[in-house]
Amino acid sequence: MPDQARSIVLAPPRGIGRSLLLTLPIALFTLLLFTPVLRQPGLPAKLAALIAWGFMLTLFFLMMRTRETYRWRRIFFITLAFMFPIGFIWDLIALRSSMSIPIEKMISGDTPFCFMVIPILLIPAALTKTLIFPGSILPTPSNPHSIAMMVALWLLATVVLGKAWCSYGCFFGGLDEGFSSVAKKARLRKINPQWRLVPWAILVAVVLLSAATYEPIYCMWLCPFKAVTEFPAVRSVQTGLQFGIFIALFLGLVVVLPYLTKRRTQCAFFCPFGAFQSIFSRTSIFDIRIDKEKCAAGCVLCQNHCPTLSIDKDSIQAGKTLSTCTRCGACVDVCRKDAAVWHIKGTPVGLSPERARLLYLYAAWVFASMFGGSIIANALQKLIGLLV
Amino acid sequence: MKRLPAILGYGAAVLTIAAAVVGPLFWFGVFTRAAATTALRIDPIYSGGEPARTLARDGYQIVVYKPVPKRSPLSPSGAFVQIVWTPASKLPSAISEPLDLDGNGRPDCVVSFQVPRDPKAKLQVTVEPLTALVLPMHQVSDDSFSSLIARVNDTVVVRVPLR
Repeated sequence: MPDQARSIVLAPPRGIGRSLLLTLPIALFTLLLFTPVLRQPGLPAKLAALIAWGFMLTLFFLMMRTRETYRWRRIFFITLAFMFPIGFIWDLIALRSSMSIPIEKMISGDTPFCFMVIPILLIPAALTKTLIFPGSILPTPSNPHSIAMMVALWLLATVVLGKAWCSYGCFFGGLDEGFSSVAKKARLRKINPQWRLVPWAILVAVVLLSAATYEPIYCMWLCPFKAVTEFPAVRSVQTGLQFGIFIALFLGLVVVLPYLTKRRTQCAFFCPFGAFQSIFSRTSIFDIRIDKEKCAAGCVLCQNHCPTLSIDKDSIQAGKTLSTCTRCGACVDVCRKDAAVWHIKGTPVGLSPERARLLYLYAAWVFASMFGGSIIANALQKLIGLLV
Repeated sequence: MKRLPAILGYGAAVLTIAAAVVGPLFWFGVFTRAAATTALRIDPIYSGGEPARTLARDGYQIVVYKPVPKRSPLSPSGAFVQIVWTPASKLPSAISEPLDLDGNGRPDCVVSFQVPRDPKAKLQVTVEPLTALVLPMHQVSDDSFSSLIARVNDTVVVRVPLR
């Protein structure tokens, strides 16, 4: 019997023993990963590492057992996005008693670097060999989140995940995914697909404007996630306006619109880094294909369930998802005909989609555990420290 | 021949997993060391640029940086010179000092500020121009990257705006 991807409706669960066996490599890797944290002194660190380790293992086991990807990945991704601000804000409050970053911290290079800035840095770096960000290139005791470390992380993620960074690596995307999961039905159904072009327009605009002004324009004016991380200290009309924009964008794009549309609106219709990452969509060896022979004409379940509008009728006809596809697995899990399938480039479509899914998930989950798992453990440690 | 692309595909998939597993062990160290050897620097708008000369005073030093020109016509930050008093803990309670910013031997401005003992107290600086090179500052705190006074660790940083 060919090993094929099964939809949640048709696929029987995999046996517990086989699922455990498939989880074993991840269990061993993550044990290695969490061992240094487990050795840290103090109960909160040990407990947090144990919970994070168990959490990542349980989700992977459930992916193996149920053959579903989207539901369990989403739990991880939302948890990551809600835990990241907890750990981040906690560290900020401990360090400087505030979420705002004063100018003296900027000029001393103590601003933590965020991957969102990477495309903005490219033109000034190429032209003047300078990085237009008030951080530090190398890690320092007061700023371990240096530019070099974050760029290295992004490069590794791009090799391993490609555009799937937006489903397994980004510590912000889970916020709008979380709010998009709240309502049972979408209140706003009709979305003009032209909105998908907006992130590209924002990407071009912020890259050019940043190069022209020598300021990271996106961070200073447009990042919705400044509302839940850090922002320039409000000491003037300009910084007050910036703060207001961050709050408005966060509420609009990350809370209200995802709730109304059940789509990841910030990721799909705004995020310039998501657009930038789409450039690397085709470099990943893993992708999702639509088997045209199996696809029932007019079904469009996959199109309706895609959180980022990365499938349309043309792409179904072409048997591919669009370059904005984040490999979240929603289309594969929802397809009742097993037509949307995981795929490894070079192999025939639909031959061994479950094998392709397994290989993809090993790569993605190793990265997710290394990066997201440690963020979750860090936040948990802070929360447990409150209780014990 | 149909099998070759499939073999290459599976090979690349396995290599991707290997990159995910092995990458974190050495990649960050290798990349960080490589980054340290490049000519890339933080833009002087944020870092203040490079030190030009150090003036020794009784118990403290003044480091005068090279002038940072306006980075582009659209940049909101103008030209400035960064001056650093270090260590802040050894500074007298008030500073008022004529300083040569361009290294021509003649003072360009007088920089004056109080140094409160409380390291969290707000600082304010006044700059009186002595030449056309310098723009005045009156009781300025931290208006912009090109016009500010700030306590950074155990130093006091002043950025004097230039024409």
